[in-house]
Amino acid sequence: MLEVSGLTKIYGPKDNQVRALDEVSFSIEQGEIALIVGSSGSGKSTLLNMIGLLDRPTKGHIRIDGVDTTTLNDGAISTFRNRKLGFIFQFSNLLSDLSVLENVLLPLQISGRDYTEEDAKELLRAVGLDDQISKRANKISGGQAQRAAIARGLINKPSIVLADEPTGNLDSLTSEKIVELIKSMAKRLNQTFIIVTHDREHFGDVDRIITIKDGKAFQDEQMEITA
Amino acid sequence: MEYRLRLAKRMLFNKKGSLIGAILAVTIGILVIHVNFVIFQGLYDAIVRDVTDYNIGNVQITDKIDYIEKSDLSLVNWLERIPYVEAATPRLSAHGEMDVVTNGMLIEEARIPVVGVDPFRDIRASTVHETVADGTYVFSRNTMVLGSVLAEDLGGVQVGDSVKLILIDRWGQEQTKRFTVSGLAESPGGQGFDYSAVIHIDTLRDMLKRPSSSDSILIRLNDPSKALEVKDFFLLSFPNDDFVAQTVEEASEKQLAGFRSGIALINLIGYFGMMSSAFAIVTIQMMLVNGKTKEIGVMRSIGARRKDILIIFIFQGMIIGAIGAGVGTATGLGYTFYAKETKMSFNGSLALEVTYNWEKISQTALLSFLLAIVASLYPSYRATRLLPVEAMRTV
Repeated sequence: MLEVSGLTKIYGPKDNQVRALDEVSFSIEQGEIALIVGSSGSGKSTLLNMIGLLDRPTKGHIRIDGVDTTTLNDGAISTFRNRKLGFIFQFSNLLSDLSVLENVLLPLQISGRDYTEEDAKELLRAVGLDDQISKRANKISGGQAQRAAIARGLINKPSIVLADEPTGNLDSLTSEKIVELIKSMAKRLNQTFIIVTHDREHFGDVDRIITIKDGKAFQDEQMEITA
Repeated sequence: MEYRLRLAKRMLFNKKGSLIGAILAVTIGILVIHVNFVIFQGLYDAIVRDVTDYNIGNVQITDKIDYIEKSDLSLVNWLERIPYVEAATPRLSAHGEMDVVTNGMLIEEARIPVVGVDPFRDIRASTVHETVADGTYVFSRNTMVLGSVLAEDLGGVQVGDSVKLILIDRWGQEQTKRFTVSGLAESPGGQGFDYSAVIHIDTLRDMLKRPSSSDSILIRLNDPSKALEVKDFFLLSFPNDDFVAQTVEEASEKQLAGFRSGIALINLIGYFGMMSSAFAIVTIQMMLVNGKTKEIGVMRSIGARRKDILIIFIFQGMIIGAIGAGVGTATGLGYTFYAKETKMSFNGSLALEVTYNWEKISQTALLSFLLAIVASLYPSYRATRLLPVEAMRTV
């Protein structure tokens, strides 16, 4: 499903290099919810950007559904992102010029595939936004926007949904609801979620936890060993 | 609706200030072209109109070397049998000296141009008689119409005053004749007889001892577009004479050539104005791209290709161009309509001859539309170069 091997990302000029990720390797199976945790600046968002093909690694490979994504060109990366990956950002990042429904439909429209609005409406119903579909994205609350972002992340039935601090901008009550929603959608759709968070407690039981520390990755069992 | 077009439209219409600024830039560019055209082409056409109406007609016949000695009556009758010819009239010109005497005292003497007209034919072929603001046109052999400028120069000659005209005839003899001023001619822009004295053509012939001479035949057509046909037909019909036939444009080429260069220069300035509009669009669209950096990053992250981003911003250029061209053309047409209906003139000069040049209007609108698209290319390209991960960090 997802295999990360020897992933290294180095920033900066030769004389002042910063190793954001250092030989990171792990794999995640279909339908798993995996948390990537770590302190600020540990490299967890960098790792998510690499998996999400938003940034290129200096070294190493990322295989999604058997495709080595590090070899893809720019156009292929865009198509791959559209078809295989879903994104949920900390600040929802809905397009304020579009309605909630249009935001959810956007990945479908970008894909160029045939679609019906009903697909998006069904998802919006599932995330509890069926009464908000016509509203402009900037006219709904933060929690509602994040629900819409989840629907947008799922609309193309991606292999993996990547969520970067999806509850980081929400109050605790709304955060709980969003976590519940993500978990229920993952179960319902057998959907892989990779979630970057600094607050693992929020998510309770998950399938896998990857801890990033000083650019290195440790899976839950390893963490215990090293601890 | 295509999602990229919808997004382009929404992004643009939600930034009303930028949209209005960009549309204004295109509108002003087009308006400058329209105003330039109305004024300068209008002035050019007005000069052609007045030269046609007063001095040359649609076609003018002269002699290659000297005076036309063929009977003006037979020539005019022959010409007026051509279906396109509305009327024709002979003209004869000379230079003379004029004395103005009031109460037995010589007030002024000056060397002046004199034009001889056939008053009965002239009023059909020319509208110069309409420039007689005070008094009447030449109606008998001893009356004279004086141009208002000339009358002023001669010390303020009035209708009814008596003036003495002295000419040198073809044999070198001085010929003198006294005239009564029947009218004063004044034309806006001075294309009429403002600087001349107008007398009966037969009187002038008598004084010059040229009983059947004319130096030009002015031909007025009922369809000016047939000028070349009439000219060619005339020249073919009189192959053994030394006639020269010219359309008004050909006959006044020297007068108009400089003006045409001026118009070309003014148009060039107008097109530079349009280029400035394009730069304004580039600036405004760069602002739009900067304002939408995060959205571009988000779109790229959910799979939009560089091409999609490029198309969205080019669509914006097309929308700006289309609305700007529409508003600019409408504004320009409004100005043209106003100028035409009010017979616009400047400082009492000749009234502009305003026309709707649909070909030029369409060209200008199309050009501004295309320029807006070209102007959007660089901002659109810049938008495609944004890296999603960096673009999304923008607040």
